[in-house]
Amino acid sequence: MNRSLTIPLWLGIFALAPVHLGYAQDDVLILGDDVSFDAGFGFDDDLFGDAFAEEEPGQLSAWLENFTIKISQQLSGQTNNHGVDLAPGLSFPRESEIETNRLALNIRYQNAFAPGWLLQGSGQAKVYWKDDYEYKANGDSIDTEFRVNELFIQHSFDQHSLKFGRQTVVWGETVGNSVLDIINHSEFRDFTIIDIEDARLNQLMLVWDFFGEESNFSSFVNLYPEFNPASVRGSPFFFEPEFNLTDYDRDGELLFEFGTHWKKSFEGSDIAFMAAYLYENQLRYEDPVLGIGDAVAEKNDFILLGFSANRAIGKLLLNFDLAFSHNVLADSFNFPGTTSLTSAINLKKDQIGTSFGFEYAINNDQSVSLGIQAQMLLDEDEGLLPGQTLINDGVFGTWLVRYSNSLMNGDLVLSSTLQGDLNAESLLALFGADYTINDNWAINGQIINISADDNSPLLFFAEDLRVGITVTYSY
Amino acid sequence: MKKVIYTLLTLTIIGLSSMTGLIAQELNGREIMERVDEYSRTTSDSAFNRMQLSTCKFGIRNSKITCAERPRVKSLESVGKNYGLNLKDTKSITIVLEPAAERGIGMLSFAYDEADRDNETWLYLSALGRVKRIASGSSDDDTEPASLFGSEFTTEDTETGKLEEYEISTLEETTESGRDVWKIEMIPNEERARKSRYSRTVSYIDKERFVALRIEMFDQYDKEVKRLLASRIELVDDVWIARSLTMMNLVTNRLSNMAILEINTGIDIDDEFLTQRTLTDVAFRETELAKLRGQVD
Repeated sequence: MNRSLTIPLWLGIFALAPVHLGYAQDDVLILGDDVSFDAGFGFDDDLFGDAFAEEEPGQLSAWLENFTIKISQQLSGQTNNHGVDLAPGLSFPRESEIETNRLALNIRYQNAFAPGWLLQGSGQAKVYWKDDYEYKANGDSIDTEFRVNELFIQHSFDQHSLKFGRQTVVWGETVGNSVLDIINHSEFRDFTIIDIEDARLNQLMLVWDFFGEESNFSSFVNLYPEFNPASVRGSPFFFEPEFNLTDYDRDGELLFEFGTHWKKSFEGSDIAFMAAYLYENQLRYEDPVLGIGDAVAEKNDFILLGFSANRAIGKLLLNFDLAFSHNVLADSFNFPGTTSLTSAINLKKDQIGTSFGFEYAINNDQSVSLGIQAQMLLDEDEGLLPGQTLINDGVFGTWLVRYSNSLMNGDLVLSSTLQGDLNAESLLALFGADYTINDNWAINGQIINISADDNSPLLFFAEDLRVGITVTYSY
Repeated sequence: MKKVIYTLLTLTIIGLSSMTGLIAQELNGREIMERVDEYSRTTSDSAFNRMQLSTCKFGIRNSKITCAERPRVKSLESVGKNYGLNLKDTKSITIVLEPAAERGIGMLSFAYDEADRDNETWLYLSALGRVKRIASGSSDDDTEPASLFGSEFTTEDTETGKLEEYEISTLEETTESGRDVWKIEMIPNEERARKSRYSRTVSYIDKERFVALRIEMFDQYDKEVKRLLASRIELVDDVWIARSLTMMNLVTNRLSNMAILEINTGIDIDDEFLTQRTLTDVAFRETELAKLRGQVD
């Protein structure tokens, strides 16, 4: 559920696994003389003898080995009864309620079916139980959802690799909030998804990788660019618009995105340059003509030039991303019916952005990371009518701090995330605990608290306290 | 620290069949352990392995040690090769096969022998969608020993070299599991002791095979806190190998078994395999792994 926990968890497993507390001699098991360790070492040597069993897998079991299946049940909700003061004398009630109660089945398939060939796919099915917001949006009845995530075929030969199908392309070094991680569109449907790794959606692409001796090239063509979906009715992020928000109407129009990425690794450092022709993932919505019908979704194409680098110094890793965007919409977050914003500022501008930060392994158990994302439109006042202002003027962006502590040989990982905007208008604080019960079962708990002032888009969620739990079975 | 799986083999591969008892009898404790270290480097070069780490709480029933719960199992595949001056630098790649929740996770490590060179590590998580560099520090960082893959084996238990940091002596010549062994004590010097969890260790080294059949680890109160037991000792490609190692933690009553399911040394490994490509390009990786398997079949 929370992919941000995956990295520290992995660090715990692989490299920065927990340190035992000092041994207390009183607790030491004294092995009795009757426990003999000769001639077979006193215990059944075949305690783990099955590991050595030469078992030829049957055709069916070999085929099944290509699958990884994860089943999870999630329950979460807003627990703090309070009101949000929108204006003097106007308070918006926020009652405690269950938001998600859902069962998810995730299936991943990976099969290198012939030398140099790979077929990989993943998909999910969800069942929304009583009290889930999708259940309510479905007229108080159980709802289901099915989705194919990735599905691609890959052929690798010599120094080349070609991948065709639904997939993701990730650029940038800063984990969580890179200004370069914008190739794929994303969906933050509710507060159970707060990390880009979980929100990123696959698109139909052809990707060509060239692995040179000194550096690598990776190029893509997106054959069917998609856009961030509008909020799902009933979700915490859904607010009834005056006009229905629809997807972009292609009307037979063929859209393409393409880009290339060059990367070189040095001892202690990686650098990359990149360039792409893209469509902004976020559609711009305008009121329908004559005020009748659905909102009009407008797309915008732009050019991205980027540079990223990292530098490892001992246990410190520095990350840096730089993005220059040519011809982005100056005011892309424009929703129909919100009269304060209907002065659609149909201007294209250049934008420069950076994300940078560090990751530091405090010791074998603990790690901390910081990421800051800052963006600014160039010549932002140029073209504005008197009295017009941009939603994002000056420097805008977010920051992210993560801390994790791995305990019990990595079985228990405690983590916390603080996320805010550079204007200090909102703060999201997350505390999470991941406990691995055994090789199949795991449980995750998280608490999210939101603070926001009157100027923040998160104002409606101010003082919300969300609690969630997810039980997962994987095999 | 980042030799991880690669150095796990140190404990297992510590004898060459060509070593004879006649030669061995003339060696003192330090020379024996130096020979063990030398062989471990030799045998870990150009290696392709598959292993399983099982961990559980243990209990004693009818004088037999048994798992008191269903063991946690990690299955790993690794490929490694030595580089650099005297082949003391290592490039290795490890892929997790099991458990399902971690399947496909890969790690590429470059471990440098020089103390002032930081090791390099890259990690691939499918969820992350890209290769990520991990800042891992150098081998000689003053760090506490860390558990390997959440098991009772630690980096300290699997470290090669550093013999100059120990006072080594032969306590006695005795038998263990029906084999003639040297009982060798290793006491860390002051500098080493600061990094170590053990005040001393006692190893039972098979005189003929140069395999540690048993290692006892003692804490600062001279209480035995961990015990390593080796079994399934087999001659593979002129190398004596303990294919099953069980580390018992006598404090936590947990044990971990490391089963070397496949071990192949002297394999012809293409340098391109030990690059970031192997982490991301699964079609390439599986093709190359098939070639490696083909060399040993």
